[in-house]
Amino acid sequence: MRAFRVLLKNELKMSLRGMDMLIFAVIMPIVVLIILGIVFGQKPAFEGADYSFLDQSFGALCSISICAGGVMGLPLVISDYRSKQILKRYKVTPIKPSLVLLAEVAMYVVYAVVSLITLFLVATCFFGFRMRGNFGLFLLGFLLVMVSIFSIGMMVGGIAKNSKIAGIIASALYFPMLVFSGATLPYEVMPDVMQKVVDVLPLTQGIKILKNTALGLPIGDVTVSVIIMLAIAAICGFISVKFFKWE
Amino acid sequence: MSAIIVKNLTKNYGEKVAVDNLSFEVKKSTVFGLLGANGAGKSTTIECILGTKKADSGEARILEMNPTKERTRLFERVGVQFQEANYQEQIKVEELCEMTAAVYKKPRNYAELLEEFGISDKKKTLVKSLSGGERQRLFIVLSLIPNPEVVFLDELTTGLDARARRDVWNILSKLKKQGLSILLTSHFMDEVEALCDEILILKKGKTVFRGTVEQAKNESKKENFEDAYLWFTDEEENYESI
Repeated sequence: MRAFRVLLKNELKMSLRGMDMLIFAVIMPIVVLIILGIVFGQKPAFEGADYSFLDQSFGALCSISICAGGVMGLPLVISDYRSKQILKRYKVTPIKPSLVLLAEVAMYVVYAVVSLITLFLVATCFFGFRMRGNFGLFLLGFLLVMVSIFSIGMMVGGIAKNSKIAGIIASALYFPMLVFSGATLPYEVMPDVMQKVVDVLPLTQGIKILKNTALGLPIGDVTVSVIIMLAIAAICGFISVKFFKWE
Repeated sequence: MSAIIVKNLTKNYGEKVAVDNLSFEVKKSTVFGLLGANGAGKSTTIECILGTKKADSGEARILEMNPTKERTRLFERVGVQFQEANYQEQIKVEELCEMTAAVYKKPRNYAELLEEFGISDKKKTLVKSLSGGERQRLFIVLSLIPNPEVVFLDELTTGLDARARRDVWNILSKLKKQGLSILLTSHFMDEVEALCDEILILKKGKTVFRGTVEQAKNESKKENFEDAYLWFTDEEENYESI
């Protein structure tokens, strides 16, 4: 436990020194929130809706940090640690190298939670946001999306041949999801055809769950999305455990 | 009593035999030098002993334990410095030491070790900004943090200046007297002569000599150990013509 704590603490220190995650997982969601808040203000989500556009977007904004940590952070750091043989170094210590991976995952969980809290505070204090759904249910959804998206990152980092390939795959997943899944550009402003296309992105489905639970809509509306998220977590989780390359 | 026992170790990379039927023992509280040209199989041997590479046949035991099956217990008592120093891009000296110490139950105080190796003023420095010699000393420090009974040092003093090399020798000799067993590889024959109680010379994975430095000199009829080493590794002719 002490080993894990020290690993996590120092991984966080190094990550903050690098700045990337602070920018992409904490600052960027706030910036998007402020832009949406200014552009759409307190306007209802659609004519006759009893919640504002911003209430509706909150769930999507919370997924930005999950996406940054899961499909960008994790694959890069895992493949980097493998190519630098840092994982191998832990093989000749009393701890399992997997503890290092666990510390990495925990670090991205910290980023996602920090982002969630800061978004909640800014949205509530400055843009009249109100969590309409059950908070516990929302957190459960948040956890599901996190597990699912992180398992994608784990798989990419675990089986990519080298850092370069991991970087390419990570970019190919991250940028489309960031722009088209509704995390930044709201899903609701997209034309119908585009919505149909972006529905294939895993994060689009995750965001549907987050929005649904934040707004307190009937959970039955997102059964399909929940099943998809669970399936992704199971498949990618299985592949990363089964085929993980330590060297 | 032996710290390390290697029996008939063989490792192939495809068609190429990297380590060929290697056997040796490292007695407790002694220094054992594994010598040979680059590519002779030194690092592969070390990795097979440690269990980070799987030998095709033969076995290795450290402190009478199986390095793969009993790794959790064993590696509380073993320190390792790999040939290529690996570290995170953004890591500072103190953080690397702290993270290393954190995985052991009873680590040594790393501040003392940094002091002993003359790099305690670099605690807040990024590892990547250290000079080659400082980094090499740091990685020896890391291998000693577990307060090990056995330590593996692959390319001990590569990159160190003359003064630093002597300092490292002195520290290791002192630790040896306190009971530490050391397996090292080195390309510096003066270092091998000064430190090693026993040596093994590898050539293309095969043992061409095993014994003491004195025996190597006698057997090769050379007065100088470096000449003896070159004689065994068949680089003598080139050497003579220079």
